[in-house]
Amino acid sequence: MDLATFGAIMSFGLELEQQAAAFYEIAARGALEESFANLAKSAHKRAVRMERTRREGIAEMILEPITGMDGDDYHLELMPDADEAELLRQAIALEETTRRFYIDAAGKIPVREVVRTCIRMAKQSEKRRAELEKLQS
Amino acid sequence: MVIKNLKNYIDGEWVESQSKELLEVRNPATDEVIAHVPLSTVEEVGETARAAQEAFQDWRETTPYARARYMFRLKNLMEERFEDLAQIIVREHGKILDEARGEVRRGIENVEVAAGVPSLMMGYNMEDVSQGIDEDCVYQPVGVFCCVTPFNFPNMVPLWFLPYAVACGNTYIVKPSELCPMSQNILFELFDEADFPPGVVNLVHGDKRAVDALLDHPDVRGFSFVGSTPVGKYIYTRAAANGKRAQCQTGAKNCLVVMPDAVLDKTVPSIMSSAFGTAGQRCLAGALVIAVGDVYESLKDKLLESAARIKVGDGLDEAVQMGPVVSQKSLDRILGYVEKGIEEGATLLLDGRDIQVEGYPNGYFIGPTIFTDVTSDMVIAREEIFGPVLGVIRVDDFDEALNVIHDSPYGNAASLFTSSGKWAREFKYRVQAGNLGINIGIAAPIASFPFSGMKDSFFGDLHGQGRDAIEFFTDRKVVISRWF
Repeated sequence: MDLATFGAIMSFGLELEQQAAAFYEIAARGALEESFANLAKSAHKRAVRMERTRREGIAEMILEPITGMDGDDYHLELMPDADEAELLRQAIALEETTRRFYIDAAGKIPVREVVRTCIRMAKQSEKRRAELEKLQS
Repeated sequence: MVIKNLKNYIDGEWVESQSKELLEVRNPATDEVIAHVPLSTVEEVGETARAAQEAFQDWRETTPYARARYMFRLKNLMEERFEDLAQIIVREHGKILDEARGEVRRGIENVEVAAGVPSLMMGYNMEDVSQGIDEDCVYQPVGVFCCVTPFNFPNMVPLWFLPYAVACGNTYIVKPSELCPMSQNILFELFDEADFPPGVVNLVHGDKRAVDALLDHPDVRGFSFVGSTPVGKYIYTRAAANGKRAQCQTGAKNCLVVMPDAVLDKTVPSIMSSAFGTAGQRCLAGALVIAVGDVYESLKDKLLESAARIKVGDGLDEAVQMGPVVSQKSLDRILGYVEKGIEEGATLLLDGRDIQVEGYPNGYFIGPTIFTDVTSDMVIAREEIFGPVLGVIRVDDFDEALNVIHDSPYGNAASLFTSSGKWAREFKYRVQAGNLGINIGIAAPIASFPFSGMKDSFFGDLHGQGRDAIEFFTDRKVVISRWF
């Protein structure tokens, strides 16, 4: 799926966050309960941030066609009923995918506030991935 | 699905028009009827003007701070209903969601600027203009204003005027386009929710008879219009004859000049957005590319390559980059211009006429269309097509490019693509157009700046938005005082 407009990219990011929130909420159990519940809460907050950025960051003057981003490159297979080791592996993949998505998005949209949001989201994803990796070890 | 008859909003109430005449509002992507709009009677227009006049005195005595608070409330409600506002624009107009969201954002920005009225409306004074004598200039509201607005920005254009007028203490009447009237009904739901006093803001649907009734009504003190040049001239003339102030922003044929030193990789996307954004139905749309010198061949190839890639479809699909045009009548008119271009001898580099959009057999779609070998005397170079049709003219030098621009009766917008500060400065200095872009394809002034325009693109002196709007919607009263 081509992400060829500002709205398509921002809505894709919003969906990623909603997908992440749903995954963490269902998968929050056992030893992962607290950390996943926090990640779910944070994903909801990130979804709100993405919606606000889509709403406020639109700049009609520079709505130019965007090339080189494809939603299929960020496709996630999440199965929240898996065992804990697998859940952790999926969560790490999720955070890595969102990090990569936001870095790519930041390079495509020439609006300072939107770039700032994307970079902030990418940094957060990177930090979350690192924390999840600690749990893995 | 039940098809609603749109109501008027008069004196703080939703009112069903008594008119038997209704027009269909259609979704341009599907051709489905989505609403009926009444052609309100002259009596209903008169009631609206009377309600606005009756509300004026109380409203003008409301402090500017209190009036600003209504703007804050409206802004917050618009943020809350942002997606609804954007989606209804797509459904009635056809533009893509990004463009609709951009439109709502620019509308909100006007509300935000108007909320600064306690500062914007301040007058000025000087002591001792003569011995012991002081002089003050105060800004006062005038009375009832109204706007007649076009289909292409059905949410935003009324907001170039209304927030400033109302914030300054005037009362207001909106007469939206019959093609895209639904956006204003949703916006007026928000005015209602923001609890504006009855009669301060009013909505009346209708056609030329409603406009004439407003133009002739003694209580209406001023008129804002955005639309075609012939209608703008008519409104300006009739308003002036009736002693009303008027500002009429009208037609355009905007040129995008590309110099040999332009950064083509950045220039071409900008041209795409300018020419094909909103399917070319913007008064700021770039309609003619003027290629200077040897940039012509490489530019032509890049324009073709980029335009051919634009995905056309239903604007609600976020993967789509260009929606349909607003009506079958518009589509037929645009197709007529394409035929005319071929007859006149221009080369049809990209033909958008036969585009098929899967799942939307009845939509009013035409793909991006590009003519090359266009000359400035051709009809397609002189008349406003208002569709996704771009002409490319080749000229030898900068002066010849300016001559092409100045040959046109219009002076709405013009853009220059260059790496040279010298050419940019020359362009800014010499071009007779109101909104200029330097390496910008859509020179759309933001809310704090006037939406300018010259020649046959604007009739009046003060424009919409920003400080010009404050001046337009107020009288200056000078008080000279001495105390014994």
